[in-house]
Amino acid sequence: MPTSSSASTPAATANRPEFLISYLKSEQQGEVKLKTLREVKNQIIGNRTKKISYIKLGAVPKIVEILASAHDSDLSILVQSAATIGSFACGVDAGVKAVLDSGAFPHLIRLLSHSDDKVVDAGARSLKMIFQSKLAPKYDFHKDENMTFLLSLLNSENENVTELGASIITHSCETSGEQKALCEAGTLRRLVMLLEGSLNQREASLDSLAAIIKNNPEVISKFVGLDSGRALKSVTELMKDRYPRTRLLASVCLIVIGRTSPCYLQDIGLRTKLIMLLIELLEEPGRVGDEVPFALAGLIADNEDLQKLAFEVNALDKLCNFLHRDMILAKQLEGLLLAIAELCSRLEICRERFLSLQALKLVTSTLTHDCAEVRTAACICMQSVTRSVKNLSAGHFLTDTMVTPLVQLLHGPPISLQVAALKTISNVVVNFTNRKSIFIQCGGLKELVQLSKSMDSTLRLNSVWALRNLMFLTENSNKERILLELTASTLTSLICDPEPFVQEQALALVRNLVDGGINSIEHVFIEGGVVVNAVGRQVRSASKSEVCIQGMYVFSNISTGSELHKEAVMHQLLPEADGGAQSVIMKFLQCSDNQLRVATIWCVVNLTYPGSPGSSARVTRLRDYGIISQVKSMVNDPCLDAKVVIVHVLKSIHHSSCIISVLRTIIQHVVLQFRVKTVLEQCTVFSDAAA
Amino acid sequence: MPVRVVESSAPSQVSGASTGHALPPACTLLSVGQAFAGTQNVSSVQKDEAWKVNVRIQGCDLDHGYLCGTMEALNVPLADTPVVTFWEGEVVDTKNYTFFTGKWEATPEDDIRHWSKFPSFVPLLSQVEVDGGKSVDLSSYPYIFMRWKEQYFVNVGIDCGLTIAGFYYVCFSCVDGIIHGYYYDPNSSPFQKLELKSSNEGRSGFSFSSYQLQ
Repeated sequence: MPTSSSASTPAATANRPEFLISYLKSEQQGEVKLKTLREVKNQIIGNRTKKISYIKLGAVPKIVEILASAHDSDLSILVQSAATIGSFACGVDAGVKAVLDSGAFPHLIRLLSHSDDKVVDAGARSLKMIFQSKLAPKYDFHKDENMTFLLSLLNSENENVTELGASIITHSCETSGEQKALCEAGTLRRLVMLLEGSLNQREASLDSLAAIIKNNPEVISKFVGLDSGRALKSVTELMKDRYPRTRLLASVCLIVIGRTSPCYLQDIGLRTKLIMLLIELLEEPGRVGDEVPFALAGLIADNEDLQKLAFEVNALDKLCNFLHRDMILAKQLEGLLLAIAELCSRLEICRERFLSLQALKLVTSTLTHDCAEVRTAACICMQSVTRSVKNLSAGHFLTDTMVTPLVQLLHGPPISLQVAALKTISNVVVNFTNRKSIFIQCGGLKELVQLSKSMDSTLRLNSVWALRNLMFLTENSNKERILLELTASTLTSLICDPEPFVQEQALALVRNLVDGGINSIEHVFIEGGVVVNAVGRQVRSASKSEVCIQGMYVFSNISTGSELHKEAVMHQLLPEADGGAQSVIMKFLQCSDNQLRVATIWCVVNLTYPGSPGSSARVTRLRDYGIISQVKSMVNDPCLDAKVVIVHVLKSIHHSSCIISVLRTIIQHVVLQFRVKTVLEQCTVFSDAAA
Repeated sequence: MPVRVVESSAPSQVSGASTGHALPPACTLLSVGQAFAGTQNVSSVQKDEAWKVNVRIQGCDLDHGYLCGTMEALNVPLADTPVVTFWEGEVVDTKNYTFFTGKWEATPEDDIRHWSKFPSFVPLLSQVEVDGGKSVDLSSYPYIFMRWKEQYFVNVGIDCGLTIAGFYYVCFSCVDGIIHGYYYDPNSSPFQKLELKSSNEGRSGFSFSSYQLQ
């Protein structure tokens, strides 16, 4: 029957939160309090809005007060107050916070030793709710009394209490020290026993087993060895359980084992079954469906064989089909994007398939999703897909539709999202067509330059990385625009950044800047040569090979320019006065890093390149520093690349007839080595066969 | 580089992968950004003809035996502008790919016939005849053998009157940066020779740019 919206019936008024809270006051009769607790509990179960509204009205401290002051014999009050507290803590962080702030924790713990099973059940359930939240206090497993208490929980006859014990482990076990302590205390054996218990015990046990063995080969080997391998067998068997969540949790346990100790997950049949099972579970509603893509992503991460296997059983098509659905919750969408990202991370065949499924448009649209985690996952997914050089070359990624939302994400926060967007942009701007200006025009360059000045070193690293790739093989007009925006002074600061990774990318950026002829090289000599001087300082003083390699390629590229450019490089790389000081060229030629030797020899090749008027004078100076004889002594360098570059140096400093003879010797030497090796291998095969 | 259409053919998708040896040597002259210039001989019975060709390496992933880039044919008679194609290369590393093509209408006999055109292949011939070279260790060999297959036209439509149905048997010399290749397409003139030299693009030395995907 319709009623007036302004009028409330007496019953409705009595059930309003403000009204009910007044009944929770301690002076009320026990019966009234009990009825009120029941009413509040019934109203808030599964109703987030109601929970929040009661929390705001201060209901939680009042209920905790009732629990604290209740006598051990007030069974109903104890049960109802504990259950109501648990309900507040269930699934709502604000509820957990209110419960913890009200000091409920010790009172709930007290209930675990009550003589009445119902009271114990209520206390254990509420504590379990609390431990399912990230806000729950961390349990210290290293305290003897805590470990004893935890074992008593796990060994309890009461199902809810054992589940609580498992939940505490799942929530608090993080470090390898904690994993070891739990393993040594015998929890593994007890948790494996619980796998044969009720559904809830099984699931709680699988969850905590995963927490104890995660990334810990020592504990995994103990777990696998338990009861002659029966523990592992039990978990494997649970992959066939009738309950989807149990199947998922068993899979997660096996994934954790396989990732840390792949030897236990070698069976191709089992690996295929795992992938098939996870794909099948994708269709499950609720929590299972939400969590499955994360498990799949974890399984195939960094493992090309498993990615291939997943691709062969159509995992990519199925994941992409989900993206076409209308109502996908943020959590599941995030997982789907991360699983697709893993699938496309290494295999070009997956990227091709992803693009043919028209999924790029869908992923691009999630770059503007409300949830930051989804936006980050979308970036990570696009980062994998944009590793396709074939499509980069075709200019498929550098479009307004893709670049504009990515650039928007650079504004942040959070930093993790900015970093994910930067990594994708780094790939997208490696464009071989003349479209780099699209990125510059939509404001991308400005944002990258801003982020290269960030206080956060990860943001600096990734923005400079993107600038380096943007600079790769771009036309001189774009180089000018980049340098104008970045300025010589910021570039100099980046070359001298406190972080070697940033230095390396900044030098690689300069390397690309000066690749492209005299006009390009001139850019590093502006403003009194601050940039080239910074490169020189870094090459002379850096301790990381990666930094020196990029620095030497900068000088190598500059040395392809005019006489002035070549002389400027000589000035940077040879000591001013001949006071016996070793030149940095000599140091690098004698170092053990193949790539650094190769970069250095290329620099010498270019400094002595025939046809330049000053070449012979430079050869003389390099000879004076012992560099030419060092190069000559390297014709048998163990690195083939270094060896062949030396041919080019010799070509520059000797007559061509002489070089042809050297060249012939080197080729003959290498081919002879190869033949001897082949003969020896064949001899081994024959002797093996004879044996 | 595209050639004139005679008859189109669709390549099969058989993989030539096998497990085994260390990868071929990394070579700076064959790294991303590097340019090569030379000619392709497209002579037929009727007339002698050679097209100028420029190549630029755009991607290199030796772990997967993968190389790619563009090929620009400059004086193609039927085209108004230079014709650019994108190609993908299979590096014969005996891990990802062997000397046997196993697709693109190339039989092992076709393979041996083409590879044998390279003098640097001769020392490997006997072993390759046995198993495609699966047991050969090329990690310190100063030549890199590849197959380059053009995938699409970059700047003209597929109706340009040219075909990219065939593929190249390629040999790169690490020592001097010279590339030799032979185009193979059962429907085109046999053994069209590709000759390319590492190009410094008018600079007074060798310049190296680089990018890194994330």
